[in-house]
Amino acid sequence: MEKRLAEFEAAGVRPVAISVDAPDVSRNLANKSGYTFPILSDPDATVIRRYHILHTAGAPDEHDIARPAEFLVDSSKIVRWCNFTEDIRVRARADEMLAAAQQLR
Amino acid sequence: MPNAGEFRSNVATWWGLLFAIVALGCNGAFFLNLPFQGAIAWLSLLLAIVALTLLAMGLRLAIVYPKIYRRRALTVLVTTIAMIPAGLSVLGFVATRKLPSATAAPQVGQKVPDFTLADTSGKPVSLDQLLSASSAVSPPGELSFESRPPKAVLLIFYRGYW
Repeated sequence: MEKRLAEFEAAGVRPVAISVDAPDVSRNLANKSGYTFPILSDPDATVIRRYHILHTAGAPDEHDIARPAEFLVDSSKIVRWCNFTEDIRVRARADEMLAAAQQLR
Repeated sequence: MPNAGEFRSNVATWWGLLFAIVALGCNGAFFLNLPFQGAIAWLSLLLAIVALTLLAMGLRLAIVYPKIYRRRALTVLVTTIAMIPAGLSVLGFVATRKLPSATAAPQVGQKVPDFTLADTSGKPVSLDQLLSASSAVSPPGELSFESRPPKAVLLIFYRGYW
């Protein structure tokens, strides 16, 4: 994602990552991987529930987490593209997300 | 039907082992960021099924025709070893697809719920702020404010626990 960040910015899209990880865990991830886009924490999965993408006891220690999901949301907060993988190994590729972003002209 | 004196190597068993290893190895392909990753997942399952079929065939031959496929102990050993990658491939396929349905999630054309969540420095960030602030160089994982707001945000919900 970080490598293609300039392309997302050129398309006028800001990536934002969200998980149940605590802010310091996310900061470690951001530092290690060099991510410069916002990474937000939803430790009680409140927002995850609001978006109906809860994966009950999906974590290795049985905590509730998000099932993987991507939403391209425009300035009116309308979903323009979304992706819900059926297999956690199959992740949305930056190409697919960029193509969706570029169609937002 | 081969003669009783002939000795045959149990080819099916060895091919079964190979297919089982390749089936498991497919999981490495997910890290290559190739297109059609969904196909790789199904390919891995298919290879594992082929492997299990070959292993079963080889085992049956060794048991039913012990005078021809003499190395029965070796066949059983190789079959047992091959069950590990084959079994892992099948179990892996099942486990990675145990995801809840997302039919109740916001779909294309629908409005998403608002939120306010903490960034990596603990600062609260709202969806409104994300949509009205521009992209700029910022400390890792934080939001920074400058000139042009983005046309859209790409919300990437991930499992966490990295």
